[in-house]
Amino acid sequence: MLAVWQVIMKFKVLLLIVYLSFIALQAIAISDCDRIISGRILDQSTGEPLPFAVIKVISSDNATISDEEGFFKLENICEDEVDFEVIFIGYKSVIHHHDFMNREHIANGHIVYMGQDESLLEGVVVEGNEIVGGLESLSVQQLGRSALSSKTNQSLAAAIGEIQGVTFTSLGSNVQLPVIHGLYGNRILIINNNVKHGFQNWGDKHTAEIDITSADNISVLKGASGVRYGSEALGGVVVLEGNPLSLSQEAYGGVSAGYQTNGRGYNANAFYGEGKERFSYHVGGSFRRVGDRSAPDYLLYNTGMGEYSVNAGFRYHLPQWDFKAYYSFVDQELGILRPSVARTIEKFAEIVEADEPILMRDFTYSIDEPRQDLAHHLATSEVDWYSSIGKLSLLASYQVNHRKEFDVRRNAELPVIDLTLTTTDNRLEWYHPEFGGMEGTVGLQFFSQNNDNNPGTGSTPFIPNYNNYRTSLFAVESLKKGENTYELGLRLDHEFISVRGRETNQDIFRNEFSYTNLTATFGMVREISSEWNFRSNVGTAWRAPNMAELYSFGQDGFRIVYGLWRYEADEDGQLSTDRVLTGQDREVNAEKGIKWINEFRYQKDRHDLALTGYVNYIDNFIFLRPGGLGSFLWGPGPIYIYDQADALFIGADVTYRHRFTENLKGTLGASYLWSRNVERDEPLINQPPINLNAEIGWDTPSFLGLDQSKLILQTSYTFRQFQAPRTVSPDDLISGEEEFTIDSEIFDFKDAPDGYFLANMLWQWQKGKLGGQLEVRNILNTSYRDYLNQMWLFADDLGRNVLITFNYNF
Amino acid sequence: MKNLKNYLSIALLVLGSGFIFTACDDDAPEPENTVELITNVTLIFTNTADNSTVTARAVDPDGIGAQPIQILDDIELAANTTYTLTYEILDAQDPTDPEDIGEEIEEEDDEHQLFYGFTEGAFVNPVGNGNIDNAADPVDYNDQDGNGCALGLDTSWTTGDAQTGTFRTRLQHQPDIKTCTTGANDGDTDFDLTFVLIIN
Repeated sequence: MLAVWQVIMKFKVLLLIVYLSFIALQAIAISDCDRIISGRILDQSTGEPLPFAVIKVISSDNATISDEEGFFKLENICEDEVDFEVIFIGYKSVIHHHDFMNREHIANGHIVYMGQDESLLEGVVVEGNEIVGGLESLSVQQLGRSALSSKTNQSLAAAIGEIQGVTFTSLGSNVQLPVIHGLYGNRILIINNNVKHGFQNWGDKHTAEIDITSADNISVLKGASGVRYGSEALGGVVVLEGNPLSLSQEAYGGVSAGYQTNGRGYNANAFYGEGKERFSYHVGGSFRRVGDRSAPDYLLYNTGMGEYSVNAGFRYHLPQWDFKAYYSFVDQELGILRPSVARTIEKFAEIVEADEPILMRDFTYSIDEPRQDLAHHLATSEVDWYSSIGKLSLLASYQVNHRKEFDVRRNAELPVIDLTLTTTDNRLEWYHPEFGGMEGTVGLQFFSQNNDNNPGTGSTPFIPNYNNYRTSLFAVESLKKGENTYELGLRLDHEFISVRGRETNQDIFRNEFSYTNLTATFGMVREISSEWNFRSNVGTAWRAPNMAELYSFGQDGFRIVYGLWRYEADEDGQLSTDRVLTGQDREVNAEKGIKWINEFRYQKDRHDLALTGYVNYIDNFIFLRPGGLGSFLWGPGPIYIYDQADALFIGADVTYRHRFTENLKGTLGASYLWSRNVERDEPLINQPPINLNAEIGWDTPSFLGLDQSKLILQTSYTFRQFQAPRTVSPDDLISGEEEFTIDSEIFDFKDAPDGYFLANMLWQWQKGKLGGQLEVRNILNTSYRDYLNQMWLFADDLGRNVLITFNYNF
Repeated sequence: MKNLKNYLSIALLVLGSGFIFTACDDDAPEPENTVELITNVTLIFTNTADNSTVTARAVDPDGIGAQPIQILDDIELAANTTYTLTYEILDAQDPTDPEDIGEEIEEEDDEHQLFYGFTEGAFVNPVGNGNIDNAADPVDYNDQDGNGCALGLDTSWTTGDAQTGTFRTRLQHQPDIKTCTTGANDGDTDFDLTFVLIIN
């Protein structure tokens, strides 16, 4: 271990040396009056260009106006840094601080989004495409601040679940994880404020502890973007960006409060910020509480939740330098549907076959077992240095995640899982300017995690204590040639993992192992004509097997789960769990995926069509499958084992937007995914079914003196998952009618739920600084079961929910 | 260059706050006194006349491991004799430090109940075939929880004439739902064991 530690120390010293030598290379700035600011002015809510806007350098006579397409160019600037103002009648003026040493601004120009005078939206200036940039050939969907402001009472997964091809898997209403093109959990990377969210991301019962009210923008990258963001990005990446901390910005802030009928939930959040000439800061906080929710016909026992969060950011700017720090804290208490608890297969049979949950109680806000108590701290600091050689960015981050889970059991007051996970992610990145036609980013990353079981659970740790250390080197470059842009990326990762755990007899087991992996991406963007655009990307990604996949040994409800290194089978197919294996006994290879994703986009007049097609092949895909029927003191119990096989995913998403009139817009969307375990020639479980959706949005004429009023009707039809595995009823399993061995084909305990139609309505209004929304979800109060919500086996999903939100922004 | 130095010190200050090294600790989790799983159940029949005992054991030494459970003994009782039945219930996953789960059950007696099933006519008291199929059927409980409802860690049995049959004991965990009328299918099962019953 000491040797490893020394390597790490050396790495850090090296990082510092590299950093210092770049500083020594600094060129002396040239101060001719030939500086230019260029960009484009767009309407914040419609995205239409704004012609003839005035762009003016503050406290000078230097000014220009935008052309018919909204483009502008401000020339003859002498200073290294200036503030410029954009003025357009009927819109709020925007002031922006510009640093000429930031080459990204020059390369990409500015996009100035202006908010209408009566609109709630403040203007925003986007400088290049910082975070998502570097992978232009990937299909990217974004939720901006205005879209997020209507989702303050949703989880991250539910909020982005409206994007075509993205959905979410859940354990009831509180634990939700994003699914991109059929992959979720460890196969989707969540980047929060520039760093990988460090949480207990294993199994499918853990949500990411993120409050979306802290995000300014959320992007979903649907390709395998492992090169840019690191391992685990097999299905895609979700990127949350915090407040951009713009300089020279008048004080701004807002409060909002809401109520929802289903679960009698209430929530509130507030934020405040200000940008001065040299520094900028923001603070924010939110609070949410929901009681037992209800399906159309009954209350759902123990489905309440509570959450509060705070966040703050600070930026200090000096010529050529930016210093940033960010902190956030999220605390959650999540209830899990009580009548889903079954320890024996007999009990499971009873609750699965019941038409209604067998346990009911009157409405309450109290949260009992099973429940999860979570606390997550995130702190990051960043130093950016701009010079003629580009931008150098040094990022350091520290996260602490504390998870406690409580089960229905004897000693229920003791957590059954109590884990503290510490994550550090340190990066040095160099965004270099165009050189020989190439432009891109080169980076060095050091990532580490330390997971510890806290004593006092009265239960053998389900996953061991572990440390992992990952060192990575990456480069993403793009080359523009005519109508084509080509992109190439390479990344080298080395991950070392040290494990210490306890067997159920409390003997200690230890293991150390490592993975080295090279990932690559190649992409192109081609503008076929002014209407047609084509982008294509082939990317690889990988991930090391997680601790639950390797070392699980315990009960998960009525199932007994063994990790890859906790079981072996003899020639007769008899399972043995007498010892803990290592890589010598059973080789467990890293999961490796290759995803090819293509997007055609057609935009003309009233039409906007996006067609995305993809193929994703995953080598050594790790999955859970039935492994036989065990005998225990409480009776027979199904055993599940982790295994590896190759899997294939092929699918398409299509979105068509039509603008009927200036005020009336419609959207049609569809998603289709075919997936299969090709090695065992059997279906995969929990895959998203086909979904069709239609939305119509109408900016209503003014009434009641409102400045703005918008009505949106959303409908969707989700098909039955006809690719679901075969069905074996728990009764057939108990009676022995269905033989259950280590070679059994994967199955589910119940036929996949029927297709269902859902309708939602949203009315947003605004008058001056006051705004609000009235939303009705599941208007028809349809009883349905969502195949991706694990609770579909036990209870109906949520019934009608009326949500009212008011906000005041200044 | 003086400016650069200043900036550099700010840079280091900002980063210093974030560059916290993960200690490379090498610790295994603390050993746990597991209090959840039952691995050893011993039925102790005490003859009320002479205090002699008959025991019958069921074990699953590896708990949730793949090894099947073992019923080690038959229950051999004398005919026309009265016994009290008590238990030794252990979590012996760690054989060097077994935990007494019987104590845990007594502490949480308002969440637990033992139910019984046996060959009809095996006992003259209680009569019938036990209360697993029907909770209202007779079983002679000698103990109660705080609410006056039966627990079943101490019961009385009077055998009939010589015969062979089965004896089943089932411990139900019924948190938040136990009442004096809840039955063997309410809550979840901690153990459900069937022994061969021989009455000589």
